[in-house]
Amino acid sequence: MEILQGLLQGFQVAMSPTSLVMCCVGVVLGTIIGVLPGLGPSATIAMLLPLTLKLDPTGGMIMLSGIYYGAKYGGSTTSILLNVPGENSSIVTCIDGYQMARRGRAGAALGMAAIASFIAGTFGVVALMLVAPPLARVSLAFSAPEYFALMVLGLTMVVLLAGESLPKALLAMLGGLWIASIGTDLFTATSRFTFGRVELLGGIDFIIVAIGVFAIGEVLGSMEPAQPAAVLPVPRGLRNLMPTWDDMKRCRFAFANGSVLGFLIGCLPGAGSTIASFMSYGVEKAVSRHPEEFGKGAIEGVAAPEGANNAETGGALVPLLTLGIPSSSTTAILLAALVLWGFKPGPLFIQDQPQLFWGLVASMYIGNVLLLVLNLPMVALFAQLLKLPAYAMFPLILGVSVVGVYSNASSQFDLWLLAAFGLVGYIMRKLEFPTAPLVLGLVLGDQMEKALRQSLMMSQGHLSILFRPIPSVLLVLAALLLMVPLFKRFNALRLRVLDEEA
Amino acid sequence: MFVARIVAAALAVASMAFPAYAQFKPTKPVDFVVHTGPGGGSDVLARAVAAMFEKEKLVPVRMNVLNKPGGNGAVAAAFLYEKKDDPNTIGFITSVWLANALTSSEAKITVHDLKPVAELLLEPAVIVVRADSKFKSLKEFIEAAKAKPGELRQSGGSVTSRDNIVRQQLQHATGTKWAFVSFPGGGERLAALLGGHVDMMVIEPQEAGEQIRAGKLRALAQLSQTRLAAYPDTPTLKEAGFDIEATPQIRGVVAPPQQPADATAYWIDRFQKLMQTESWKKYVHDNQLEQHFVPGPAFGEAMKKVDNQLREQFKEAGIKVVR
Repeated sequence: MEILQGLLQGFQVAMSPTSLVMCCVGVVLGTIIGVLPGLGPSATIAMLLPLTLKLDPTGGMIMLSGIYYGAKYGGSTTSILLNVPGENSSIVTCIDGYQMARRGRAGAALGMAAIASFIAGTFGVVALMLVAPPLARVSLAFSAPEYFALMVLGLTMVVLLAGESLPKALLAMLGGLWIASIGTDLFTATSRFTFGRVELLGGIDFIIVAIGVFAIGEVLGSMEPAQPAAVLPVPRGLRNLMPTWDDMKRCRFAFANGSVLGFLIGCLPGAGSTIASFMSYGVEKAVSRHPEEFGKGAIEGVAAPEGANNAETGGALVPLLTLGIPSSSTTAILLAALVLWGFKPGPLFIQDQPQLFWGLVASMYIGNVLLLVLNLPMVALFAQLLKLPAYAMFPLILGVSVVGVYSNASSQFDLWLLAAFGLVGYIMRKLEFPTAPLVLGLVLGDQMEKALRQSLMMSQGHLSILFRPIPSVLLVLAALLLMVPLFKRFNALRLRVLDEEA
Repeated sequence: MFVARIVAAALAVASMAFPAYAQFKPTKPVDFVVHTGPGGGSDVLARAVAAMFEKEKLVPVRMNVLNKPGGNGAVAAAFLYEKKDDPNTIGFITSVWLANALTSSEAKITVHDLKPVAELLLEPAVIVVRADSKFKSLKEFIEAAKAKPGELRQSGGSVTSRDNIVRQQLQHATGTKWAFVSFPGGGERLAALLGGHVDMMVIEPQEAGEQIRAGKLRALAQLSQTRLAAYPDTPTLKEAGFDIEATPQIRGVVAPPQQPADATAYWIDRFQKLMQTESWKKYVHDNQLEQHFVPGPAFGEAMKKVDNQLREQFKEAGIKVVR
């Protein structure tokens, strides 16, 4: 009842003309920066911060949040069309999204990304509204040992991303773990593998590696054949560009998986949307009835991670608004904005500022609808990109990649890194190494190492801390996942024996 | 346009005639260089300062914030050094620049190679425990740490952060020991304390305020020159019975090494004027900072002093110091 009242009050705030305009501006801006690789929501919000200080705080907060969740919608566009991840959280979308585009199903992939984003994004808001306070308390049970187990579980997904050869996948993952260790060590202030370069003191941003091995590697590999790659087929008419009813039925579980997993991981202050999208992709493949299609253009492989990174937004607002704890750089700057407006974010925030909280929640419902309406017609427009011949397409991909990486930190050194990782990606393709495990190791490695060392510092070096209830469950799950290939091999062997007997 | 040119020419003549200070006035956009990405502490401060300069009409040109992240300040320091005598570039520094210069041999250019403009702020902090903790005072925490060395835990940032330096100072003064668990993000540190995974942390007063009001945290002591307005009942370290001069966490502005004296004088003057505005006072109050204006060469001396303190504390903590 209280919730209903709050929501009614919230819609009164959010439906006011200024709020609607702010919401519109926010989600449109968000979509644009999401589509553009490099420029992310945190940079955009930071740049707009001085401007929003002149606005009414509710309108300002509605707009800045619109940028935040709007960017998650746009992130998939370049992932699918160009194999260039538009945002950190859309890296994993490249794997199946780009393959779908190669098969002439770019429209379905883009449409599915928008639909999954809408469903999971809305789920995230509902969950934020209904269960925020109790869930925030539960999320505090998560600390270093729990994160370590979560990262281990994530790393075991390498067996799902492996493709043909597990040893090659493991090697690629180890490469990713090594890259993750580059930089200044948090615990001793020692530099590791910096080769005397100042630029490496802060480590290597994983988005550079992802763009390098995915996009640049792909371009280099595709330029090799003497015959220029054919122009990709793009179906005509909006109806043929959309996901079919069969697609929707196939993605039923992906919607649920992305929504729930994305929201829950979002609630954890130490995880984030990249991990949420990787995890839900892994779960999707693990339970799929046709896992062999993943990596070759399975539509669930787009729906699950794109849903997860949107539900994550609602999740990330849980610790922010109920506890005053920011879980990412974007939520940290939203927190800074609240302070600059003169609010006091913290455990009493919702109680003190019900109007702002409920106005924000209501605006997020509206914003998600706006984003769906905004994004679906753009599918037809964006899909036309694929009609470009190779001599225009490859320079476009290179250009978008270079601009994206440079705009991230305006560092020339990053461009050299991009070139180097492009070459790494090319060599890996030639040697038939899968590239996704490299990025997986890089994304999870840094946090996994930190979590393990934090755990051991907490326990004075006793490993027993890793066997608290939550980490134990996660570690058992990880062990089971690792055994999947063994079962498969055993099953294949059993079938062969049966065949021979018959 | 014509008028502007005449004014510029007149100014140029004037500056030739009287080579004293305060003739410089920026005529093209100014860059504020920060070492964090957008949204980091220095970035938010630089953007707020730019907005206030504009609002109070203190600087007649547009101000851009230029993010030069990487190397914990080393990349931004090198960038500022390359700007040689540029009057239109100002860098925002924090204690991180000093600490990093001590531990990273990769950093060829450090903050000491740049021209000090002014120290602006001290960042106070509060030592907190959970509200249901059995420690009612810092003394009780120290006693418990003495009874069981190494068993109590503090969450904080990197080992070179202020959090750890305060711990080192307290441990040294009292002959105790407790564990220090580093977390990269402020949110994770606070979550670890609220979730009961660690026992104590050093936190920004503004962040702690709401947690205390909600009955989640209790303040044991404050790291500040005098008691903060928002913490009238929390003793400073000295008042709590620990004769420790906590190494201050500073924020200030620097310039490229050969910036002309009149330009630097202009910036010192502008920042001094800024400190007197209502906008600035509100900013300092809302964020619970301590204003600490130290202009010119005196700021350079202050940085050297902090540098020496940090070097000693790092050595004592077993952190490798490279210069």
